[in-house]
Amino acid sequence: MRAGPSQEEIRRHNLGALLRHVHLSGPTSRAELTNRMGLNRSTIMALTADLTAAGLVREELPRETRRAGRPSLVVRPESARVYVFAFDVGVDRLVAARVGLGGTILDRRETVRRRGPFSLEEVVGPLAAFARQMHRKTRPDTVCVGVAAAFSGGVDRGDGVVRFGPNMGSVDVPFGEEMGRRLGLGLPVAVGNDANLGALAEHTRGVGVGCRDLIYLHGDVGIGGGVIVNGTLLGGHRGFGGEVGHMVVNPRGRPCGCGSLGCLEAEVGERALLEAAGRFGAFALQPWDGAQLRDSAPSRDALPREAPSQESLSRESLSRESLSREALSRDGAPSTGAVPPGDAVPSRDGSPVPADSSSPAGSPLAAEVLPSTVSHALIGRDAVRAVVDAADRGDVVAQAALSRVGDWLGLGVANLVNIFNPEMVIFGGMLREVYLGAAAQVRSRLATDALPPAREHLRLRTSALGDDATLVGAAELAFTKVLADPLEVLARAGS
Amino acid sequence: MTPVLELRGIDKSFGPVQVLHDVALTVRAGEVTALVGDNGAGKSTLVKCVGGIHPIDSGEYLFEGKPVQVHSPRDAAALGIEIVYQDLALCDNLDIVQNMFLGRENKRGIVLDEDTMEEMAARTLASLSVKTVKSIRQHVSSLSGGQRQTVAIAKAVLWNSKVVILDEPTAALGVAQTAQVLELVRRLADQGLAVVLISHNMNDVFAVSDRIAALYLGRMAAQVKTSDVTHSQVVELITSGRSGDLGLTNGVPA
Repeated sequence: MRAGPSQEEIRRHNLGALLRHVHLSGPTSRAELTNRMGLNRSTIMALTADLTAAGLVREELPRETRRAGRPSLVVRPESARVYVFAFDVGVDRLVAARVGLGGTILDRRETVRRRGPFSLEEVVGPLAAFARQMHRKTRPDTVCVGVAAAFSGGVDRGDGVVRFGPNMGSVDVPFGEEMGRRLGLGLPVAVGNDANLGALAEHTRGVGVGCRDLIYLHGDVGIGGGVIVNGTLLGGHRGFGGEVGHMVVNPRGRPCGCGSLGCLEAEVGERALLEAAGRFGAFALQPWDGAQLRDSAPSRDALPREAPSQESLSRESLSRESLSREALSRDGAPSTGAVPPGDAVPSRDGSPVPADSSSPAGSPLAAEVLPSTVSHALIGRDAVRAVVDAADRGDVVAQAALSRVGDWLGLGVANLVNIFNPEMVIFGGMLREVYLGAAAQVRSRLATDALPPAREHLRLRTSALGDDATLVGAAELAFTKVLADPLEVLARAGS
Repeated sequence: MTPVLELRGIDKSFGPVQVLHDVALTVRAGEVTALVGDNGAGKSTLVKCVGGIHPIDSGEYLFEGKPVQVHSPRDAAALGIEIVYQDLALCDNLDIVQNMFLGRENKRGIVLDEDTMEEMAARTLASLSVKTVKSIRQHVSSLSGGQRQTVAIAKAVLWNSKVVILDEPTAALGVAQTAQVLELVRRLADQGLAVVLISHNMNDVFAVSDRIAALYLGRMAAQVKTSDVTHSQVVELITSGRSGDLGLTNGVPA
């Protein structure tokens, strides 16, 4: 039987706690650390001395003080020296970043992921290459203390294997293991569900700081969720907890990628919104072969820009296109729905731009009838933004689509509020746009379906970290070990 | 908790036309109060009464629980009430810092204290997490609509104000900029300010507000918690002054 924690364990715990403070709150004076941690001054001094010697923090004189007396030294994280690699694997994008202690993104690379059958190599390859590029650029005295990835799918807590990812098309993928092997840093790669990690990120660095009970909803192609209860992420038995996207809200509803009917994700996800808005392009015909279809669209010669081949289908070209659409709409036709589908309308610079596909063409045939529309169908966040934008400008079809999706979203949130009684619900990813564009429906549903005492103090917020929420969450996951046992991890990483 | 701003029984006439009848309004710190109503319902007049541009004919004006007299915009500003009007009132030929301090410049002796002003402006913009502005020495003429709105809001916040009133801050903005301004509005309240948001857009109102005050033909139809009402109820309050148990009965608040 043990009497209690040993001196060594207490010291390790305190070192970790101090480092965590500096990591999350940024440069903090010793005096403030003494206050916040409830330890005496000499202990704080000894702890910072240890961390300084290890090269995790450094102490500096504060720039200016407005108080009398000897200024207290400020403890800063060694952001430029101690770092982790964080990866974000979304349906449409792959991001790799080098994140310094304290949460500073030091370096970052991003590429577009093509929707299609899942291939481990197509995900791991680019990410590992990015990491190698970034690693090469680091100074010799820097040290990598962890690697982690956010993955759009359910991750088994036991072995880090991605068990399911309906929107990625992935099943039983040993992503962490393969990533670790390819990086060759000698560090294990921790893997977490992207929405779970987004919840942690918003909880530690975002809009949910200081909030003990929150739910983060992440919209990518599907809907993910992270539930934080009393400051701890709800993982469930094997780590699959928080999959709110697969909460069935409409048993006779739309088919979901998971095989069920009427999941929240099937009613609210990207596909539901785009179909309702009559903007679901190529994927209606060949779900996993969109890029190919776009290439072979017959009307490509008539288009002003080069047809979007696989290479040019980058984020930039997509956003450039949405920009030119915006310019077009500002210029002329207030209701895009009035433009005959498939027609080209001159834009500001005179070149023809394909009309919006927002015409009331909700039938699945629409894509076949309108080849030029198909060839330019936006996907992902850009498509969602285009719907919200069209609704804002008075497009009735887009408005009806948003309102429908907002209604289902409100129903889902009402259920979550009744079960978990969170203090805050955060809308992230594409749900930020959906919430802001359909807040009236979402909150009307809450007013009718959520229990009054549970909704009374509920705060609905959009993500403060935006598109980086999941990446920041991955970085925090990567820092977990060094924050738990700073000296040990550093010693191992340095050797 | 005492409301920051409370109006009771406000009447206001312009000549023979009575614009506000017995209007009550309560504004609390840390909350966004949406002020809604049809065109001509009296939203702008009410706000101008609060801001000291129009004197009120009768009624009580309480600030932090104490009755006060507000005769001019200067009185309102001294209390800590700032209004951002639709036209924003920014000078195109001045830079961001100059605009934020316009008419209230910091001085060191007889010269302007540019350094302090620049630092204060930068700190205010940073505290609002404004990242879209490249340089605070940029002329306002070079800014987009959303950025101008941001500068106008930051200008209102700079003065340790307690109440910020925004008149249609998202009108004439694109979707991306609207989202940023709405998030900024929410952040102001989360930092402890009392915010009054005038808007016609129900999504904007529901997205950020904690309470909704609906004016109908110069009367306060109802002031309700946003979490307790639906979209259609608010629309009914705006268009007919009542909705079920809520609203006016024969012109008298329930």
